[in-house]
Amino acid sequence: MTARLLDGPVPAAGAESLADHRARLGDLPGRAERSPLIAMLESAGLLGRGGAGFPVGRKWASVAGRAKGDAVVLANGAESEPLSHKDRVLMASRPHLVIDGLELAAEAVGARRGVLYVGSEHTQALAALERALDERAASPSRLVPRVPISIATPPVSYVAGEESAAVHFVNAGDARPTTVPPRPYEKGVGGKPTLVQNVESLAHAALIARYGDAWYREAGRAETPGTALVTVTGGARPGVVEIDLGTTIGEVAQWAGVTAGEGSPVLLGGYFGGLLAGAEAWRLPLDPSVLRSHGTALGAGVVAFMGDEVCGVTTTARIMDYMAGSSAAQCGPCVFGLRAIADASARIAMGQARQDDLPRLRGWSQSIAGRGACRLPDGATGLLASSLRIYDADWAAHQHHRRCLVRSGMARATA
Amino acid sequence: MSMRRALDSGLRLEVDRITCDAYGACAELLPEGIDLDEWGYPIVAPGNVPLHLVELARRAVDSCPVLALRLVKAQAPIAVGLPPPAPVLAARPDRTEGTPPWPPRPASKSPKRAPGGRRPR
Repeated sequence: MTARLLDGPVPAAGAESLADHRARLGDLPGRAERSPLIAMLESAGLLGRGGAGFPVGRKWASVAGRAKGDAVVLANGAESEPLSHKDRVLMASRPHLVIDGLELAAEAVGARRGVLYVGSEHTQALAALERALDERAASPSRLVPRVPISIATPPVSYVAGEESAAVHFVNAGDARPTTVPPRPYEKGVGGKPTLVQNVESLAHAALIARYGDAWYREAGRAETPGTALVTVTGGARPGVVEIDLGTTIGEVAQWAGVTAGEGSPVLLGGYFGGLLAGAEAWRLPLDPSVLRSHGTALGAGVVAFMGDEVCGVTTTARIMDYMAGSSAAQCGPCVFGLRAIADASARIAMGQARQDDLPRLRGWSQSIAGRGACRLPDGATGLLASSLRIYDADWAAHQHHRRCLVRSGMARATA
Repeated sequence: MSMRRALDSGLRLEVDRITCDAYGACAELLPEGIDLDEWGYPIVAPGNVPLHLVELARRAVDSCPVLALRLVKAQAPIAVGLPPPAPVLAARPDRTEGTPPWPPRPASKSPKRAPGGRRPR
């Protein structure tokens, strides 16, 4: 567990002041000493931390390479994933690192405006960022050109964190996704090319600007360099931890005090992610490229251990109900498909399955992905498909015998 | 029956999912490439429209009452912007199950639909 973003005082100590931030990390190097940051981010190999894992340097280059006009940087701290806490912990404890990253990004891509887009439920993070902006306004340092930064607070909603929804909210007060293209990097806030970047990614960029790409690459134990914030639940010590990429799922379980047996199911990535199980899965390194080759992903950095006493069918049904309720009610396959999935899952979970519920669920788990303006249906059906596989025996027992293997004390067969 | 390989038009059909209102006219006019799900929303066959179906595809586009269907130039995947999401399952096919592929070009002008056409529902 390498502390970089979370080096210094423990997050529970609250927001780090500007003075403490400078005393601990030093000022950003002046413009003359700074290497071109975009090239440095590319060679550092920093991947975006909002869920999709897109290379940060390439994303910045795409906005910087626009034909004309100015641009906008939107720091995405919506953190609408219910199982994730890492962004709000970062914003609440290291607000200046996030704002450093936002200002550096604005300079690098030639933006004249910054937006801190923070879920309205993250009250500590909002207070910390507001105070940090005030501190900076009162401070004389001008090492990085200041841009006007506003704070936008979307309502609590799962899709609010999606990048086109973020742009839509800032433009029109409506935090629902829009049809892409045009994507935000082409046409975003105020119609200008907009870099939408997760707050953790920006904080890493602020450290890379100080210490360099070679330093960034010193951390990491498998293929992808660097550290990552992950949110761990399901153990005796849940919380947010900074790991070296490549740390295994089993090591994270140990850190979090997970008592469930090795190989018990774990939800990786959050509600947009998928379930894994088996001793082999626990040996997987949390590394985007290794995980991709195993057909899974770290997503927004959620590692949620399910525990052996949890009925996977009931948990999945609850998540499907949440996802159906999260639909922005814009696209038919999502509105009707996710509701149908949630209803059938609930019937099966409660022992009231109709004869064809399970086969229909299997069909929907494949037929709805890719048919929405955003990826909500893809996320929901991806999780469902993984649950149908990992909890196969549980689904079958619920459907055919109207009984729960967990409640009836039967050992569950994990895949 | 011998099949000729269908020529690629370099165009593909794109649905604006927010605008689409399940009128279903597209599937009426182009059953070779558009199926409807149980709620009436289109499932488009993956890949580009074969050349011999482009005219029908245009008619499907023109007939959409809410203009939710477009025929667009197929591009190489955009280098920038969010990649497909993370997800999560090797086992997940990259297209929807049961979506029929575009049918091969029939050898004759026989009105019989080529096999692999619209899935019976």
